Amino acid sequence: MAREVYTYPKSRELFNRAEKVIPSGVYGHLGPAEGCFIPIEAYPLFGDRAKGSYIWDADGHRFIDYMCAYGPNILGYNDPDVDEAARKQREKGDCMTSPSPVMIDFAELLVDTVASADWAFFAKNGNDVTTLAVMAARAYTHRKKIVFFKGYYHGISAWTQKIDYAGIIEEDVVNNLYLDWNDPDALDRVFDENKDEIAAVIAQPYMHGNFKDNELPAEGFWKKLRKLCTDNSTVLVVDDVRAGFRLDIAGSDHYFGFEADLICFCKALANGYNVSALCGKDFLKNTISSMSYTGSYWLSAVPFAAGIACIEKMKRLDCPRILIEKGEKLRRELIKKATDYGFDLHVSGIPSLFYLRIANDESLMLHQEWIAECVRRGIFFTNHHNHFVNASLTDEDIAETVAVAEEAFAIVQARHA
Amino acid sequence: MAANIDQKTLAYINMYGVLGGLVALCDTVPEARKILGRSGCSVGFAVRGGPQATLTFVGGRCILKEGTEDAAIRIPFSSPEKFNGMIDGTVKPIPSKGFTKISFLLGKFQKLTDLLETYLRPTEEQLEDETFLRQSTTIMFRVIVSAVAQIANHDKVGQFSASNIVDGAIRMEIAGLAKAALIAKDHELTYSQKVPKNIMSYMQFADVKTARDLFDGKINSVAAVGDGLVRIGGMISQIDNVNRILSRVELYLR
Repeated sequence: MAREVYTYPKSRELFNRAEKVIPSGVYGHLGPAEGCFIPIEAYPLFGDRAKGSYIWDADGHRFIDYMCAYGPNILGYNDPDVDEAARKQREKGDCMTSPSPVMIDFAELLVDTVASADWAFFAKNGNDVTTLAVMAARAYTHRKKIVFFKGYYHGISAWTQKIDYAGIIEEDVVNNLYLDWNDPDALDRVFDENKDEIAAVIAQPYMHGNFKDNELPAEGFWKKLRKLCTDNSTVLVVDDVRAGFRLDIAGSDHYFGFEADLICFCKALANGYNVSALCGKDFLKNTISSMSYTGSYWLSAVPFAAGIACIEKMKRLDCPRILIEKGEKLRRELIKKATDYGFDLHVSGIPSLFYLRIANDESLMLHQEWIAECVRRGIFFTNHHNHFVNASLTDEDIAETVAVAEEAFAIVQARHA
Repeated sequence: MAANIDQKTLAYINMYGVLGGLVALCDTVPEARKILGRSGCSVGFAVRGGPQATLTFVGGRCILKEGTEDAAIRIPFSSPEKFNGMIDGTVKPIPSKGFTKISFLLGKFQKLTDLLETYLRPTEEQLEDETFLRQSTTIMFRVIVSAVAQIANHDKVGQFSASNIVDGAIRMEIAGLAKAALIAKDHELTYSQKVPKNIMSYMQFADVKTARDLFDGKINSVAAVGDGLVRIGGMISQIDNVNRILSRVELYLR
């Protein structure tokens, strides 16, 4: 029997309300434009509730959610252990005039957990800590230039954006140098051409770029980059906001066998509670102390308590390993079904952060059709962003996902027969 | 989003977008064909350090081609600024060739450019006429899409956007009214009136009103995606970057 094909009248009604009072209705990565909802009718626009691996939209449809709120959901939505820790702290106090000692507990736990961390500094969003990292690198080195790898995403501050983005002026990005990922010659060249001028190299642990397969670091790439940074007194910043704790509980730099000078975390740090952290080496601690950098809610205690519970549970579960195993199982089965229907499905990146692309058609329209049919049947995939696996995902969820994916492959195949 | 207007880029837009609008005008508006009648002539614009192209009027149609070698009337400009001055009416064009055809320039050509201005800068009252609205929107669409290609190829910020556009055809369309393609090759864009069968991506405006409101800045394309008034598909990185270039068209054509 064919599955129910979702429609979203309530979502549409809410969106119509929203766009009267909110620019573009839903802005940013959760919105239909940046989220690449193609076609728009295939996607829910508003959520109602979430539990474990599931989200329910405003129309009451259930989805197995492979976006995990774009990363924060790592243990399962509303994880009881994390929520209980948060509840207990909330009863004691959250946003207070003096920070709770739970902040120290959280920092100590991060220093014990993250291989390259000698200290931790807390904020709210990934962008807060990537910006702090770059500012700290400039403060420490007294240099201006920052090296990026094309296809990067490091947040939304002006320095992270590009010259053709709305609101950005040339001066915002004039010190940005852009290199191709996995190009060792380009690394040599950029350090030669900018001797004593590069404050930092900032990179995600591997290339999560959109519209093309995700790309792991080539053999020796990180080792070379680490050495160049050390030899040139340049700060090496790892932006682990997206991948953090899905590759390695000790940090993605540890997974790839090197140590960052500064490493940025957010998303999975507290299973959805609002906190980010910059961790770093001892030699940068005084620099951070000297900086004027704070925010109204940055020292709130509830997310710290949630973060502690989240990290402790991730350790107990050996979370990165089980996420990679679940992702690998899904990867294998999706590829098998795709092949059965004549589709060349590429599943790239680390399996806990898998990226999907049907490669039969370079325009990606076929891929967009398949994703839309999956979403309409209750599997929340996105077209052009990596996905996220969470610890509550069961074998039954994976089986249901594969069954829906197969139905969607059959529909797309028939449409193009 | 740097706001500097580059005169050379503007000259290319004026040549292929604005004067290129005469091609769209003759294709779209019967009155333009009536002005031309059966007579034919060609006018070449040679801009030092800028574009060189010829508008050929024949059989009621207008064709735009690169180069001025075969033009019956040739008008040289010592710089892009001078050429841009002709377009905004502050510089008087002086032909270097074709003095015997000058009556075409002062007569039919002038009438056509005046008519084009009517369609590119219409009044609210004119737009209440459905036929005029459709014709004006079609011409504007072609001018704007053509301008996108010029900005991608010549404007510093546009070139940055184009550097992120992969090869392949991008179909731009107003549903039921007009379509054109931007062909990306080695990070340069070429405007094509003919849309290839195989495209890499598309951006479709739902109807005339949507297109008009977008052109007039009354609605935003990102918001319009949420409403389903703008449909996008395929290689979205192409569309994303074309959209960034589109946002610069207003800077040059306001």
